[in-house]
Amino acid sequence: MAEIVLENLGHSYLPDPKSEADFALKPVNLTWQDGKTYALLGPSGCGKTTMLNIISGIVAPSHGRLLFDGQDVTQTPTVERNIAQVFQFPVIYSTKTVRQNLAFPLECRGVAPEQIKARVAEVATLLDLDYALDMPARRLSADQKQLISLGRGLVREDVSAILLDEPLTVIDPQMKFMLRRKLREINRETGMTMILVTHDQSEAMSFADEIVVMKDGLLQQSGTPAELFSQPQNDFVGYFIGSPPMNMITLEPRDGALGTDALDLTKKLTIGTAGSRHQLGIRPEHVSLVAADAENIGVGTIKKIEHLGVDGVVTLQLATGVLIKAKTRNHVEMSVGQTLGVNVRTDDALLYIEGSLAHAE
Amino acid sequence: MLQVDQLTTADPKVSLQDISFQFDAGNIYTILGRTGAGKTELLRALMGLNPLVEGDIQLDGQSIAKRPVKDRSMSLVYQQFINYPHLSVLDNVAFPLRRQGKKKAEAQLLAAKMLTTVGLGDFLQRRPAQLSGGQQQRVALARAMVKKSRILMLDEPLANLDYKLREQLREEFPRLVAGNDDSVILYTTTEPREAMELGNTMIVMTDGRIVASGPPADLFAHPPTKDAASVISDPPISFISGFVRSGALYFGEGQLAPNNGLHLPPDGPVTIALRPDAIEPGGAFNATIGLSEFSGSETIVHLDFDFGRAIMLVEGIETFEAGSRLSVSIQTEHIMLFASDGQNITTRTK
Amino acid sequence: MNKFYHILKTLFLFGWSLFVVFPFLWALTTSFKDANAITSGATYIPWVDYEPSTQGWTSLFTTGSQGINIVGPFIDSAAVTLIASLVSLALGTLAAYGLSRFEYRLGFVKNSDITFFFISQRIMPPIVLAIPFFLMLKELGALDTIFGLVLVYVALLLPIAVWVMTDFFAGIPKELDEMAMTDGCSPIGAFFRVILPNSVPGLVVAGMFCLIFGWNDFFFAFTLTFTETQLLPVSIVSLNSSVTPWWSLSAFALISVAPLACVAVIVERYMSRGTMSGAIR
Repeated sequence: MAEIVLENLGHSYLPDPKSEADFALKPVNLTWQDGKTYALLGPSGCGKTTMLNIISGIVAPSHGRLLFDGQDVTQTPTVERNIAQVFQFPVIYSTKTVRQNLAFPLECRGVAPEQIKARVAEVATLLDLDYALDMPARRLSADQKQLISLGRGLVREDVSAILLDEPLTVIDPQMKFMLRRKLREINRETGMTMILVTHDQSEAMSFADEIVVMKDGLLQQSGTPAELFSQPQNDFVGYFIGSPPMNMITLEPRDGALGTDALDLTKKLTIGTAGSRHQLGIRPEHVSLVAADAENIGVGTIKKIEHLGVDGVVTLQLATGVLIKAKTRNHVEMSVGQTLGVNVRTDDALLYIEGSLAHAE
Repeated sequence: MLQVDQLTTADPKVSLQDISFQFDAGNIYTILGRTGAGKTELLRALMGLNPLVEGDIQLDGQSIAKRPVKDRSMSLVYQQFINYPHLSVLDNVAFPLRRQGKKKAEAQLLAAKMLTTVGLGDFLQRRPAQLSGGQQQRVALARAMVKKSRILMLDEPLANLDYKLREQLREEFPRLVAGNDDSVILYTTTEPREAMELGNTMIVMTDGRIVASGPPADLFAHPPTKDAASVISDPPISFISGFVRSGALYFGEGQLAPNNGLHLPPDGPVTIALRPDAIEPGGAFNATIGLSEFSGSETIVHLDFDFGRAIMLVEGIETFEAGSRLSVSIQTEHIMLFASDGQNITTRTK
Repeated sequence: MNKFYHILKTLFLFGWSLFVVFPFLWALTTSFKDANAITSGATYIPWVDYEPSTQGWTSLFTTGSQGINIVGPFIDSAAVTLIASLVSLALGTLAAYGLSRFEYRLGFVKNSDITFFFISQRIMPPIVLAIPFFLMLKELGALDTIFGLVLVYVALLLPIAVWVMTDFFAGIPKELDEMAMTDGCSPIGAFFRVILPNSVPGLVVAGMFCLIFGWNDFFFAFTLTFTETQLLPVSIVSLNSSVTPWWSLSAFALISVAPLACVAVIVERYMSRGTMSGAIR
């Protein structure tokens, strides 16, 4: 177990990087505490896999240092880092039983048989796989196989962190819930640091204590799920976190403040550089829909209703033609073409200047 | 119109069992089921790629069950991004038109038009391998649509794409398939939300059978069977066994009196389904919090009751400490009752 | 440490290259020597160590008692190898496609048994086949003819083609054929329009193997021909008589290696190119 520190860590696959663009991972400073869960989140090619490979030791970073518990491991080979990894597709020894699969890493290290037996039993209990110990591993379902991949890391008592590389991709939606819960429970019981790499924001949000959002090799924001949701530092985070993405409504300067004809919501903020792009970011979850004659800050017509089960997403066209999405549980009672009023709390409307969150005075 | 009668197959993984359904042109049918439910097998059987043991497939009243694949007027988009590697993007899309006997120039013109519709107008001369995953799938979609075949099938087309790309393509989907009013569109997926968002009609499959079908919102509210209910609900629905005795519902140490118009079945055992929105903080039931997850604006709480595990969906961001106790209430308007044979026996007065 | 390893690697590679290239260097120098230069021991540098002569090379193209005519054997060899390779490749590719895409069943015989049947033909030593082949060709009146040799070589090369191509087709996703069929191709159309154009790397590898085995075969060329038809390997060996003309022999050896070397250079770029990427993620 270890605290992981990324100290000005960056990587370029080119021998002599000239500009920012030459970096697959632009230098970052991050500290990951022991025993917590983290997620590296971003679209394909954002640098999250490069970062994971640096931590596991597959790639040696071209810049900066990597510390495990204060010890510099930047040049330490993978085997000596005591990292366990779970990949997208379950990696199991299909000819062996579950017990043999779990025992294998210990056998390779020459651990005494009695000790192996005890440890395997312990881990099997943790994974809820007791009953399956003597079954051939290939008979198990995809999510159970993923648990075995994880278990092979857990049996080693010297593991400092578990890296999960999109481990839920091949799992059915309902089973994802159970597996995610299992992962969290294991984290709580063993106190092992877990780092999840994913492109799925909902997975990252529900799994991690802290999320690192990346794009084009650049760290966009790092914070708790609640922070990323309520205070996205830029328009990319607003777009990438949350589904549907944050509504972005363009504002025009008027009377020394900013406003829009779409919504009667004025942000009392000094205007940034004249001519720069001002937008209001509003989460669909923060848009409440009321009757057209009730008190509201804008009126719109329903263009589209998406049923998503418990909730629905309603797309409204506001007076100026601007579209705004609202997430609601009352979608079943609404119909396309209906006119509704919109309300947004002033605190829930964030101001973005040139795509960056402007901090209120 | 596509009519399927008692379709039965003997495929190695899952066999289709006696599938009968009528698909109308101009409709989008989403076929929802878990891995191994027989969704892909159904599409392949319709296509003629997997042999039938029994049953008939009729297109506009004519049996096509014995026709070769190429004469069925069907097109298919695979989960994997399958394109012809040796052809340019333009020629990939022109390929089916050329097979229909169109002149090269005409085929390429139509192909270019279709590629512009799917947003690839600038990539005509590239090879598929030079495109991103999302773009490759757009090429496959363009090739499937350009033929104007009567039946357009999409087999988990977004499953291999990034979350946000998936979201974007889902949003675009109605626009992309606009102009296929004469076609039947079949779309398979494992994601309930995707099925509900994209389909006019949702079909639920388990173990090679169609177990439910209907408008998505109706199916979500009134799934006919327990199996269908568990496939449709995301986050998962929780099932608890209990019984009805003298006008009250008992489960574990808990007890519910019917209200909100819920009618109880005669005395005997029942399965109670708790939808994630059926549980709310504050009430007579005690549970231990197993885990609290944050998902967008909602909090998903895994609860351990003395009668079993259940998932609660709470609006807004709230912190629930794992391991602590919580008292909750169960909203009878969001619970469902199932008989021991799995049939939905929930009845309500409005 | 790293540097030491690097030096070690370089030294090893250099040594190995020398080992591989040396026979060719030897043949090259020898081909420009005359009898005196050859008998006076191992020498390598022309004009310094010995006086070069073109006798070895000119003799190959002179007819009569002074020369060895290699043009005839060269043409025979080329004809037999090319025809046999093309036929094997054509038949083998079709067979391999069938084996990889369709299921055959004849009693207990299944696809895997058919594949094994093809490959098993290369298990036994060629000497076992020599007498049956001899008798068969004799009955056909095809002994000592190009036609007879082509027949035998097809029998020998077909297993290689089937083996390589079965493996290659197994790597092409079946969905690609299906896609072609939904796009309006018949099963045969799907093969020719889609699968074949994407099989160039496999065809190149299979073709290479056929050419190498066919061109270099000595045993059958020796046992099944006498005077009318003579293939290169046999003619080279026949030079080795009481007085061996080492200069001609060397030149001859170099010429016989040249075609394969050319093919290898042309073909090399196909072998490394993974054209299947992009068909399937």
